[in-house]
Amino acid sequence: MDPLVDRLDRIRGTVAPRNHNARTIAALTSNPGCGRRGLMDAAGVNKGAVAGQLGFPAGFGQSRFAIARGNAFEAQVKADGAAELLQLLRDRLGLAIPEVAYDDLSNVGGNASREVRYARTKALLARAASERDDAGTLFDHPMLRLEIAGYYAYLEPDLIAFRAGGKFHVVEIKSFAVIDGQADPGKTAAAATQSAVYVMAMRELLAELGHPPESVSHDVVLVCPENFANRPTATLVDVRKQLTVLRRQLSRLTRLESILDALPAGLSFDLAYDSDQQATRPADELRKAVSTIDARYSPDCLGTCEMAFFCRDESAGSTSALGRSVRDDLGGVESIGTVLGLARGTLTPGAGQEEIAGLLRFAHKLRTECLDGIG
Amino acid sequence: MPFVSEPIHIELLERRIDRLRGELRRAATTGDRTMARALRAELRQAEHAWDDALADLEDQARPAPQPVHKPMLSIREQVHHALTLLTVPAAPKLIIAVHDAFFPGELVAARLTSLRRDEERSFRVQPFGRPYYLCPALTADLLSPARGLLALSTWPLEIRVVGPLSARVDFLIGAIKVAQRVAQLPEDAHDAQRLLWRFAASIPGAGSAGITPSSVAELAQAELDVHLEADTADRTAAASRAQERLDGSEALFGARLQRLRRTASTT
Amino acid sequence: MSILTALARAEAVESGRAQPLTTVRHTHVAERPLVLVPLSLAGEAAAPLAAIVGTDPGEPRLLVVANPRDRTQRFDFVAELARVVLSYVDGCARSVDTGAGGTKLRYAEAPQVIVPNRGGVEFVRLLGRSTRFRRPFGPYPVHRTVPILGQWLTFLRERADHPGSSMLLAMTSVLSEHWATGQSGLEDANLAALLGWIDPPGDLDGAGAAALAEDPLRSPPAGPSTDPTFDNEILAPALAAVARSIDDFARERALAALTAAVADQMRPTWDLTWQAVRLLRTRPAGASVETRWAMDRDVFTMYHMALAEGTALPQPRRDSAVAAAGRLDRLEREQARYDAQRALDDPLVMAEFRLSGEAFTGTVVAASPNRVDTSGKKAALRPHITVQTDDPVRLEPGAHLVSPARLAQQATVVSVSSVDVVLELSKGMGRSTKQPAPGSVPEVGDRVTYGPVTDAYQPPGRFPSRDDTPWTHGGPPPVIEYHASDNDAVEDWS
Ligand code: SF4
Repeated sequence: MDPLVDRLDRIRGTVAPRNHNARTIAALTSNPGCGRRGLMDAAGVNKGAVAGQLGFPAGFGQSRFAIARGNAFEAQVKADGAAELLQLLRDRLGLAIPEVAYDDLSNVGGNASREVRYARTKALLARAASERDDAGTLFDHPMLRLEIAGYYAYLEPDLIAFRAGGKFHVVEIKSFAVIDGQADPGKTAAAATQSAVYVMAMRELLAELGHPPESVSHDVVLVCPENFANRPTATLVDVRKQLTVLRRQLSRLTRLESILDALPAGLSFDLAYDSDQQATRPADELRKAVSTIDARYSPDCLGTCEMAFFCRDESAGSTSALGRSVRDDLGGVESIGTVLGLARGTLTPGAGQEEIAGLLRFAHKLRTECLDGIG
Repeated sequence: MPFVSEPIHIELLERRIDRLRGELRRAATTGDRTMARALRAELRQAEHAWDDALADLEDQARPAPQPVHKPMLSIREQVHHALTLLTVPAAPKLIIAVHDAFFPGELVAARLTSLRRDEERSFRVQPFGRPYYLCPALTADLLSPARGLLALSTWPLEIRVVGPLSARVDFLIGAIKVAQRVAQLPEDAHDAQRLLWRFAASIPGAGSAGITPSSVAELAQAELDVHLEADTADRTAAASRAQERLDGSEALFGARLQRLRRTASTT
Repeated sequence: MSILTALARAEAVESGRAQPLTTVRHTHVAERPLVLVPLSLAGEAAAPLAAIVGTDPGEPRLLVVANPRDRTQRFDFVAELARVVLSYVDGCARSVDTGAGGTKLRYAEAPQVIVPNRGGVEFVRLLGRSTRFRRPFGPYPVHRTVPILGQWLTFLRERADHPGSSMLLAMTSVLSEHWATGQSGLEDANLAALLGWIDPPGDLDGAGAAALAEDPLRSPPAGPSTDPTFDNEILAPALAAVARSIDDFARERALAALTAAVADQMRPTWDLTWQAVRLLRTRPAGASVETRWAMDRDVFTMYHMALAEGTALPQPRRDSAVAAAGRLDRLEREQARYDAQRALDDPLVMAEFRLSGEAFTGTVVAASPNRVDTSGKKAALRPHITVQTDDPVRLEPGAHLVSPARLAQQATVVSVSSVDVVLELSKGMGRSTKQPAPGSVPEVGDRVTYGPVTDAYQPPGRFPSRDDTPWTHGGPPPVIEYHASDNDAVEDWS
């Protein structure tokens, strides 16, 4: 067995690695500098469970209304041989009238094992890529996979791969509205990163068949409801940037040796589940294990990582807990105590701190001067 | 609770419901599924008790509930009507839309889900005991049930199997049938017209305002002419394969993969 | 952000309390603001679920949509909301400001709508967008007031982009302008947490109060998004119960339960928002707050009259490229003016300019109050003063400055050295051309501050006319001006 995978298995402990999906893979790119997260994700550790055991449960959840709305919109766009989608692709991307073939790849005659579905996806896409006449146009529910630090993560995107003009496109259907040509930038960015995961996985699949990466376009088709109606609209989104970030981060996950080497040999995040599925690992022992790996907390973690409440607590008293820009404004000085010491002149600036110390003293003087005598 | 008056009883229940809600959300947040499930059950119970208590209070003023109207036709008859109009396999959503646009009564979506299983069971108990069955369409390549497409057992196999082009072809045929039907209806058949415009919106040239049912049908036919030949060839080939390989219930309800593998390896 | 704010945050961490960023209040707080706490249904573009609205903290008006996905019920809700908002808006137009000089009419009041956070502002935008094109006739007729509400919401939302306007306020933004907390800006978006740092309840410190505020069970999110566990465990069954109810009695009960559930979610935010209003009122207003509010009232007066006369400009779905660029340019200049005004009102804001070297404070070490400039056609009184300062001055000769103590007087930088600045003064010295009025020129030994001018004339940016708009910027502009048409009204709405 691959020694890296073996080591990661031991760090994760007795449970199976957490299943990745496009969202979790996309999240890998959100704080690439964090070693803690990198290692936990590479090992497939269930960060939410670990955070819970540490006494800092993460508050992630999705409203069932949002989920229902997403499913309904997707079903509508795909209904009747993806009639609405076809019309969009014809209008916006000039898809030719004869190109209407629709294959549902989730259909494998009752057997839905991921491997079988992956094989079928591969077979059909291979046929399509070979440019035969009946090669097909729309492929619904392809099963894809990506290698994440030694494991295959199977991705079951609710997407349609669409082939025209010798290229595959990824069609991502999202239920957030585009209003007067504008959509929520955060949601658009998240959709783009997730689509990039699919582009990457499809490229990997086609590469196995000997096709170049360009056979999957970096322009993904984002389908969203328009304005306040349910009518869909399509936008092309260039995900080259997201692909680069993703590629870098994924390759980093496999280059964990440097982090691993520095860790104690017996390190493990095993939660020691008992027969009732209750975690029994003592919290302070787990805390010690987690703390051996350096984190890089910033408030952005609150929206992207299940460990955030723990890491925030751990980084209390540091300037980065106040946000990257605050930290930058404070000249990168790490500790709030130091900042205040320098500002009040009770601390002598260390090497390289002279300039920021001067500024801090001036700022402190200004604040005292102005606030003197005011509540 | 004999010693507690109704209002106090209700108040106690309300407090209990509040507490349960809090605990339930706490459990849901921390991902404690077992606890959440137990609390959810307890909460529903409390809510029912609250409902009942309140109902008791209101009982004097409360008239007898209206009798619920029973549909005149069975659900399989309703589906049969819709499919017969369309003449091609269709998804439940479309079946409901067609039914509600052209036929009296309401087709209850929730009851569609168990329909297919019931049909298959009935067939197994007494094969061909009914004049028709509602069965899944079959995929052309694997001859297995196609997800979410219903067909009539009385249709020839060439219609019941679906290939890659069939979804589009059947959509266009459906559009033509709906257009023809709408053309016979009075102008104020709004539901039917709305259904037709939904079709029209996805047919090249038919989405513009002021278009008539007959031109929707023409435009659908024009696109249909592009795909029909290839689709018919696919379906005929698949149908003859099905004829050879499938028998009895499989010919109606689809091959199971196990068996398919076997047949595939023996050919 | 700046080092001053950053330092204030560090101080807040240490002291456990938010630290002031200003010495005065820079936002107008109306006598009768309208507080609006909206909730919307997750997953939908603009499906209002409920709202609390009102001008009296003790009299919240609760509006609930029993089925947020039902078009008719949504518009019933909007019509209800329109009643409240429009009667408030019209109420502001009831009396005229007699103090305003000239022939210009100005209402004595203007609407001030306060929402808890930025999300509330976005809600106002979406609700305005989704209602202003509706029509009381045609395919999906709505109540007469719905499009009018849409126009007002759009108007308010547009005003919120103008720096210094106080007609539509996100309470979190207002508080963050005035206080620095010991948490990050991201966390400040939570009204309860932010207010917990500024005005913690009981004997809690800021961090403790913020921690409580983060628990969605103790402190429901300020909306418009609801907490997912509330959606899944409380709201979904409550909505289902309404939908399921078999008779009027059951429906009434189910509605009461639904109403109570959403009220529980909104009430704390309503109270917090009013707590913040009270808190802001305790701070003295900056000197130019009234001027800016007068500007708001002018804009309000004009729009109100234009609407009444039917001459209001249409509110297009999107600005043309030229209009958008012109607007940005305007907003930028308003921002500069707002910053300068605040600096003159507030030494702590001025401190920001001192830090960046655009302003300075120092002591007058030399003065020639009777200096006369004879180089021009007419001799003019142009005193010079030399100000010694420790501040890191980064100004060029020729720069125009003003002192908060002498707003009518203009100062021009003559020279800057590492220890002092020489200024030439003009205006604000009385009528004499030889002798400045007593006290109008700083004397040796005076402590003075000079900072950026508020209304320095900056020529508006020049933009291509409509015909010359490059196609890369929105394409050739449409020949016809935008007019709201009935086509907008038939826009699908589901
Ligand atoms: S929350 Fe902690 S583990 Fe997660 S990315 Fe941030 S610092 Fe790393």
